[in-house]
Amino acid sequence: MANETQHVRLRGLSHVFADGRKPLHVLDDVSIDVPHGQFTSIIGPSGCGKSTLLRIVGGLLEPSAGAVRIDGAGPHDAQRRHDIGIVFQEPALLPWRTVAGNVRLPLEIDGARRRGTDAESLLDLVGLSEFRDYYPHQLSGGMSQRVAIARALAVDPTLLLMDEPFGALDEITRTAMRYELLRIWASQAEATARKTVLFVTHSITEAIVMSDRIIVINGRPGRVVADAAVELPRPRTQEIERSAPFLDYADHLRGLLIGAAA
Amino acid sequence: MKNHGLAYVLLAALFAVVAFAACNDDDDAAGTPGPSALSATGANGTATPAPPDEVTFMAGFKPQANLPFVGAYVAQEKGFFAEENLEVDIQHVATPGDNFRLLATGQVQFSTSDATALLEKWTSDPVIEVVSLALIGQTGQQGFAVLADSGIESPADWAGKTAGYKGSDVPPDYLAILEANGLDRSDVEEVRVPFAPQVLTEGQVDIFPVFIANEPDTLSREGFETRVFTAADYGAPTLGLSYVTTPDYAEENPDITARFTRAVLRGIAYAETNREEAIDIVLQYAPQEDREHQRYMLDTELDMAQASASYESLGLGGQTLSQWQALHDFLIEHDGLPREIADLSVVFTEDFTAYDGGE
Amino acid sequence: MNGRLRGILRGVVTYVLPPAITFAVVIGLWEAYVTWRDVSILVVPAPSDVWERFADDPGYFWGEGWWTLYEATLGLIAGSAVAIALAVIMAHSRPVERGLLPLAIAMKVTPLVAIGPVLIVIFGFGTTPKIFLAALLCFFPMLVNALIGFRDVDSGALEFMRSLRASPWSIFWKLRAPSSLPYVLSALRITYPLALVGAVIAEWFTGNRGLGFVVYSAAQNLRTPELFSAIAVLALIGVAINIALSLLERRVLFWHESVRSTR
Repeated sequence: MANETQHVRLRGLSHVFADGRKPLHVLDDVSIDVPHGQFTSIIGPSGCGKSTLLRIVGGLLEPSAGAVRIDGAGPHDAQRRHDIGIVFQEPALLPWRTVAGNVRLPLEIDGARRRGTDAESLLDLVGLSEFRDYYPHQLSGGMSQRVAIARALAVDPTLLLMDEPFGALDEITRTAMRYELLRIWASQAEATARKTVLFVTHSITEAIVMSDRIIVINGRPGRVVADAAVELPRPRTQEIERSAPFLDYADHLRGLLIGAAA
Repeated sequence: MKNHGLAYVLLAALFAVVAFAACNDDDDAAGTPGPSALSATGANGTATPAPPDEVTFMAGFKPQANLPFVGAYVAQEKGFFAEENLEVDIQHVATPGDNFRLLATGQVQFSTSDATALLEKWTSDPVIEVVSLALIGQTGQQGFAVLADSGIESPADWAGKTAGYKGSDVPPDYLAILEANGLDRSDVEEVRVPFAPQVLTEGQVDIFPVFIANEPDTLSREGFETRVFTAADYGAPTLGLSYVTTPDYAEENPDITARFTRAVLRGIAYAETNREEAIDIVLQYAPQEDREHQRYMLDTELDMAQASASYESLGLGGQTLSQWQALHDFLIEHDGLPREIADLSVVFTEDFTAYDGGE
Repeated sequence: MNGRLRGILRGVVTYVLPPAITFAVVIGLWEAYVTWRDVSILVVPAPSDVWERFADDPGYFWGEGWWTLYEATLGLIAGSAVAIALAVIMAHSRPVERGLLPLAIAMKVTPLVAIGPVLIVIFGFGTTPKIFLAALLCFFPMLVNALIGFRDVDSGALEFMRSLRASPWSIFWKLRAPSSLPYVLSALRITYPLALVGAVIAEWFTGNRGLGFVVYSAAQNLRTPELFSAIAVLALIGVAINIALSLLERRVLFWHESVRSTR
């Protein structure tokens, strides 16, 4: 049942920020193929261009060089078709709308109505049904991010881009949220219609726990230095974090990150 | 708690400063001289001459060629005040009406006033007692101007037109004109206007209130000829500007009052025979004014000063009870005063207009 | 004493008592000074004189105050509407902003006392010049605040909406406009009093209604207790408006930190 065609294709992606006095070269010649339904983490130290990469894929930034194809189309077209959902590190909820109102927001924007999941079931999915009439200032960090996730899923996108979504949370909440996200991702339709996820993080543990595949980007400018599958069984549980294969992966990745640090 | 304490200390300090300043406030406002010990009468004294008496004169409007102002300017510049052993500080009001307040509090000794305004002060609450020392303007200053090409030939044509007024309500002069021409207030639309003559030239109003010696000339220089109607045209006993002081001051300082009045009347007489020089002097006090316009003002006001029987019999500044009574009755009739003044002899005095053109 | 009553009492003590005491002290000092130093009523009336005049005919002052408020409010609405409309355009177009902002600033520094008569020449003698002057005074602060408000949106939220390919119109209605509310409401705190000032100044020049006229007429005739009464009523109106706007802010901006953190 697996699709042969790739969902996301990046070819020779490079980006230079040219607005300062010295041009900042953040990405160099990144080429990646991501199949449908795969959970891919992009990991690397700060400043190596991971966020830039995500923004380019999401259509928020025009790359200096290279191409992005999402189901054959450019990012802007994918946006228009509502194939993309984005979650940032800051939930960026609209404070004057309720939780339900925030989740509904994407559906109110030109023509998204034709396809979409209703706010109720989304809130149910992320476990916030009771809080539908609360306002963002009444929510904790973790709850706000759950709303952001529900919001990103509102247009029922096929591709989910997440840029360090748990970066602003405390350790305990963060750990819980990882498994929450996995649960949400798994319960979204059947395996064939599972969403493709590109997940940027700088936590090795997080990457290994969550992903089917880890891409390591390192250096200035950032380049792909490793691209490995994570062959751990699903569903992932907390015990896995203590297992030997997990620790092996962790060592290996740590070595890649520290060794190649600029 | 520490913060509260500091706040109280500062507050107390503030009160202390204010109280100290208030207590040390000198009672003598500038310009309130007592009668001088040895007031010279102009005669040669063998002893050292007495120091001049200091008084303040406040003109009731901005510096310009209103006749009473001219009298003071000339008296100053030609040394008439000095010859009367007076040192006069010439001021002009900041806001119209201020001069009455300053007269009442003793900060100013002499000023000018329109006759109607003077009577109003005797009937206001509280009463402000002002006495006319010399009635310079023997007929009222107010007029109502229409554009010459407006087709309005007489006030009878005001029906259906828009008339402007200055001040808080329509003046008695206006009402007198209406009455004399068989009109009712409801026949004319009345609006309060600012000092800008543009409301006339732009057609916002058809009838615009003016000072006879002033705006008609200004408008004429801008190319707008006007026709001016006054209440006096229809027999109203209007009066113009006077030199004024408070009755108390005149009573306590009769000599200074006499000398002041003499000097300013002399100033006016001089201006009449030396008009260009008088204008030169006016322009020293009002450098931004237009020379020709000031000349017009002076000429017109000199004519108005001589336009009555009082002038014939009493000379410049002369005034009679019947003049004041007539004005008073006229104002009462047209709701210009809130109540009557029982005895009008208090509003003017002939004691000081001894000037007869000589000396 | 039950909780609610206690709450009200606490509210009164916290919010009403301090200004009331301050006011009473000031009035007391004023009265004492005028009496002790025998200040002429023509210069400064004692508070008792002012109160006497006011109590003699309070309806007159409230009536004229209502009139001024009416003119000021219309002016406020007009000025704010134009300012906000212009700010919308300027928020979406830098060239327009660069073109119009210097003009707006020039308008702001024009002395109003000078243009009062000009407005009358243009607009006539009715309420129009007053509404216009009030609107003129409101215009600039509202323009600047609305513009900043429209621009000062959360960058994350903006990016999110861009990621949905939201049109500029959508972004405006769903993001910029609500974001600007704190700025617009805070501008109202400034502009409403300005609108009152504008109406009063225009009433000074023409017409025979409104507190501006009362002040003019009282000043002309040296009726100082009346003058001070009118000023006091004007001040009260200003305070009432401020309180009303405060309450409005609290209701409408419940979600904004500035309102929430005032505990």
